[in-house]
Amino acid sequence: MIPKGLEKQFNILDFSLSSLWRRKLKNLGIMLVFAVVIFLLGSFQMLTGALTNSAEAVLENTPEITIQKMSAGRQEAIPLDYIEKLQSLYGIREIIPRIWGYYFDGSNLANYTILALDSDAMPSGNKLNVTLAHGHFPKKTEAGTVVIGRSVHDILELGERRIFSLFRPDLSLKSFTVVGLFSQQTDLLTNDLLVMNLDDARDLFSLPPSVVTDLCVYVANPAEIETIAKKIALLLPDTRVLTKTQIQKTYQVVFSWRSGFASICLLTALVAFAILAWDKASGLSPEEKREIGILKILGWETGDILAVRFWESTLVSAFAFIIGCTAAYFHVAFFDATLLRPIMVGWSVIHPPFKLLPSVTLADFLLIFTFSVLPYLGATVIPAWRCSTVPPDSVIR
Amino acid sequence: MRPSHILLIFLLLLVVIDATLYLHARRLALDLKDDQAIQAIAVAGLGITDLCVATEARYTRHPAVTDPMAPFMDHPGAIEHFPTGSFWNAPIKTNSR
Repeated sequence: MIPKGLEKQFNILDFSLSSLWRRKLKNLGIMLVFAVVIFLLGSFQMLTGALTNSAEAVLENTPEITIQKMSAGRQEAIPLDYIEKLQSLYGIREIIPRIWGYYFDGSNLANYTILALDSDAMPSGNKLNVTLAHGHFPKKTEAGTVVIGRSVHDILELGERRIFSLFRPDLSLKSFTVVGLFSQQTDLLTNDLLVMNLDDARDLFSLPPSVVTDLCVYVANPAEIETIAKKIALLLPDTRVLTKTQIQKTYQVVFSWRSGFASICLLTALVAFAILAWDKASGLSPEEKREIGILKILGWETGDILAVRFWESTLVSAFAFIIGCTAAYFHVAFFDATLLRPIMVGWSVIHPPFKLLPSVTLADFLLIFTFSVLPYLGATVIPAWRCSTVPPDSVIR
Repeated sequence: MRPSHILLIFLLLLVVIDATLYLHARRLALDLKDDQAIQAIAVAGLGITDLCVATEARYTRHPAVTDPMAPFMDHPGAIEHFPTGSFWNAPIKTNSR
């Protein structure tokens, strides 16, 4: 047996659904547009959240301290002599010189990242081969060998070939032999990467043997990273010292949906929708006004009419919310966020696949709900209340 | 059939779809955990500092270790001209000094 109050609400719900169905084209249109706005906002939030989560999960093992030399406000090569200076600091466990930079492939208009270091000296360096689909990492004795990311392999159209050439700054050619290919599982990190020996990178970039790009520093006690970083900054005042915490913090804000230009565009779309809803609802059509008047004459109270409007708005906005959020998950999880990909990769020629777990948090859902559903409810119920307080005879006349 | 019953059926359908997606998310999370273990080895072994998402400009390829002046020196008078630079937030102040 259904309680009487609940039965009344069911009847009002039935009436609201019938009322919505009578104007199905208009209501479905509003719901569709509303769902699209929520879908875009939700997709952007799920994608950026997923990237932030991935960064947080995998960048835990970045170098504890990275030292770059600055000159005239710009980064430049750091002399290997600095390693000698750093030896005087107590608490440093290891200093590993590294060369990295960018190679612009003019024929394919792609930017590759070149990375060279003595991986055997790095933490987990002996396990690196598990990151490869096949092959091995270049040994110190193997000159001219390289491990490449999957997109580099595709763009260079290597197929079964193992040898390719890159231009030195003087436009002479340097040839490389591919000895390994990064696996698909590391695409998010290594898609555009070419890993080689230090000597080969020096040769390719024409760097003198006395310099590298930066120094990776590992400390004996991880609790002392900040202290040692400050000591390094004092000892080498012409350098920029980056700690692991700072690198991780970068990724907590860089994809932040709250601060990006895209989110501003999406929020603008949401506000535009709220204004549209307000405009439509505040100017109730004569037919809708007459309907309210007739209902009042038939004995409906103002509260009942408000309940009908509340149910109508709730159904439209809640369904738009659920459909929009569900579609957003499909978009990010199954379609690699195809619509947002151009925003995230810009003019990049290398497009890493986004195999990501959409970030779904209650806080974000509540935020979208507050920004979308509540304004819509307000924008539709308040004008209905205004209309329902008018004497019915003046409305239907 | 009352309209509210049709609504209930539709709601149940959505609940089933979303429950399936929840299960999918859990399975995907497990798959990605295996991938992340391998990615963590790549990060530790190569000293990787950034995700490979946008490769068009060096300050979006490596926002964590990039030169803070980079956007200004790519093009005279252009503060920013790469699309991703407009859509990404600026890195936090990373200089410890």
